[in-house]
Amino acid sequence: MTGETPELAVEAIDEATLRERFEAQHYVADDRVVTTVQLALQLGRPLLVEGEPGSGKTELGKVLADGFETELIRLQCYEGLTAENALYEWNYTKQLLAVQSNEGTVTADSADAGGTRSVFDDEYLLERPLLRALTAGGDRSPILLIDEIDRADEAFEAFLLELLSEYQVSIPELGTIRAENPPIVILTSNRTRGLSDALKRRCLYLHVEPPSFETEYEIVSRKVPELDAAIAAEVCAVVERLREESFLKRPGVAETLDWARAVATLRANGSDEPLSTDEIERTIGCLLKEVEDVTRVDTALLEQLHAAAAAADDRLESAET
Amino acid sequence: MTPREHASENATESDRPRGDRGGLDQPTGLHTVPDFEAARTHVLTELVRFTDELRQAGVDVPATGTLEGARALAVVGFADREPAGDALRAALLSEAADREAFDEAFPPFWHRLRTGIDRIATHEGTSTSDDDEPEPAGSVALEGEASELLSETEPPSLEGDDGDGSERAEVRLQTGRRHATGERPIDEDEDGDAVRRYSAVGGRERVAATPASLTDAERDAIDRFVNALATVPGRRTQQATAGERIDARRALRSSLGTGGTPMDLPTRDPVPSELHCCLLIDVSGSVLDTVDRDTLLAVAERLQTVARRSSVFLFDTDLVDATEQFERAGGDPAAALRAAEISWGGGTQIGDAFETLRRQHRDAVDRRTVVIVISDGLDVGEQSVLEEQITWLARRAAAVLWLNPLAVASTYEPRTRGMETCLPYVDGLFGFAEPTDLAEIARQLERRGLDGPIGYEYDPRRQQPAEPTPKSGEGHE
Repeated sequence: MTGETPELAVEAIDEATLRERFEAQHYVADDRVVTTVQLALQLGRPLLVEGEPGSGKTELGKVLADGFETELIRLQCYEGLTAENALYEWNYTKQLLAVQSNEGTVTADSADAGGTRSVFDDEYLLERPLLRALTAGGDRSPILLIDEIDRADEAFEAFLLELLSEYQVSIPELGTIRAENPPIVILTSNRTRGLSDALKRRCLYLHVEPPSFETEYEIVSRKVPELDAAIAAEVCAVVERLREESFLKRPGVAETLDWARAVATLRANGSDEPLSTDEIERTIGCLLKEVEDVTRVDTALLEQLHAAAAAADDRLESAET
Repeated sequence: MTPREHASENATESDRPRGDRGGLDQPTGLHTVPDFEAARTHVLTELVRFTDELRQAGVDVPATGTLEGARALAVVGFADREPAGDALRAALLSEAADREAFDEAFPPFWHRLRTGIDRIATHEGTSTSDDDEPEPAGSVALEGEASELLSETEPPSLEGDDGDGSERAEVRLQTGRRHATGERPIDEDEDGDAVRRYSAVGGRERVAATPASLTDAERDAIDRFVNALATVPGRRTQQATAGERIDARRALRSSLGTGGTPMDLPTRDPVPSELHCCLLIDVSGSVLDTVDRDTLLAVAERLQTVARRSSVFLFDTDLVDATEQFERAGGDPAAALRAAEISWGGGTQIGDAFETLRRQHRDAVDRRTVVIVISDGLDVGEQSVLEEQITWLARRAAAVLWLNPLAVASTYEPRTRGMETCLPYVDGLFGFAEPTDLAEIARQLERRGLDGPIGYEYDPRRQQPAEPTPKSGEGHE
């Protein structure tokens, strides 16, 4: 806040600057995202981002890293992820060789005896993403993106608690390592399981909503500039209509962008004819990823999609005026 | 209070017409300086009240929520409604499902907060309050009444911005959180609004349409059951005597005794943590009379979600694959159950049903699949068919568990023909009437494993009431 030194760019960032950085990275963020991210930066709290797959959760971390020109350290969570994979591991081979060649010993207290050093030393430590986020040099805080935390075990979540609230980790043989520049932590979750209260309490919470038609249009026109503006609007209108159906997997923004690129590629000659039902049908695989969903798209629905596309231009104009 | 907060208050103070007040009522002297202390107290009080309301509405606000909320507010200030709302949302919520409750409780809170601050800023008690809309309500009414007043006057203006508000409100009902918002059913100002609010509150169909409501304890019981049954190795590992992977960490430690030469290599093996299961549900009248349908569906749905792979079959005289209904987001398991109930009915033929499974859905059961049968074992089919099929099932599957609704009775003994036939081939016969019964099964499985002595007869709940109060014959047909 106002007490901070201005050099610590990340902590002292204000809303306008943040918006600008997002803008520069072509990340279309609504007010809620901007305010929440600003809060997370200023309060130095981890940010827990939830939302449908493909709604830009991971992208948020990447954009922040690019926007602040700092390092992005990403930890992809999966079931069975252990502290050794995420935090640190001893270089056992090196340790073993050191012990064999009498250069090192394992007892910490006899460190100076006979010129041998303990093999539990920085030299033998392999840094994994979490430890690297704490020890990363430079004057800027790195961005630590802990992706899909819900896929990791609950035990791993508990293991994160010390890191998230104190920005430090304890290594039994080495002691506590504390971050000089605490990383900016972004956690994402797809809600495949509930997260523990202890973890949630430590984080600020952001739920990324599916974008409105106008927002999505902006995203598409920024990310897929090669696509004609009118077609981009049609693309968004079709996706918006598709989301109303109760599909197994509703298309997210990522799918919209895929589809927009697909449509742009197929129209390599730059034609700006409106989307046809045939075109929608042939490229529907970009949007729907379940066979049950694809078979649900029948002629009637295609007609409706086509109608939605046709009405898109008017909507865009009315939105702009 | 942070400087930021002062700043924002000054801002709100300065954009208000000044001429309407004199410096007579407050000791601060300078007529443009608001009473910071009072404003601070007011904000904190309102914030505490707001978090309290949220909690009452069933929102899971963390214990430190108020603190976080205050910090967050201090960062964004409260000059504008949207940033303040977003900040509080980020600080207080941790579940997507709680957003609606927040959206409902926030406007009254914001109104109270703003009116209070404005009142303090313009020094309460002045009679010239004609400059702003919310001002009269705040300055004329007493504190308690003010909040009620605004909870009634406020909503029409804000519900304008999201037209679907009423539709969303319907879903929230079950938690009964409307009590917490301070809304009163008597809505005098506008009839239309009153009607809409009422319908939002009274949407009954929605509630009926979502039967799969399990309590946390029940969900935990099912999850525990699934974990206890897990037969397929996951990614986690544990120490093993002759495992596949070398445990380098322990190898180093143990090599120290031999001067750095690893003499023996400790190993690790993956822990079975995933479940492949095949759920066979008897939908005959006798079962559905004992077990609540919604419970049955909810359990099946949860199993389907938690297990890595699972298939669900409904059977009576015949067998039908209902996996898809449970799997699909838009599927309707209840309808499948109803359809099965209507089309069959009368006389369970477990043997024939199993034969259908064997002929048409062979892949549903393999050597890693645990077959879970929910049936009372009242079989009217051919005994030889049943014996043949259950033998096949037991041989092919990793395990067969039989959950019998009748076996929850303390005097139950498996004396029915069907049950007697199947019992030798079944790994465990348990009582099952509600999801929490699964916790008991899980307990036995955790302690003794699938091969150990498990079954209804080891249920501690059974032993105790059996001796002193011998209730007669629920368990017998």
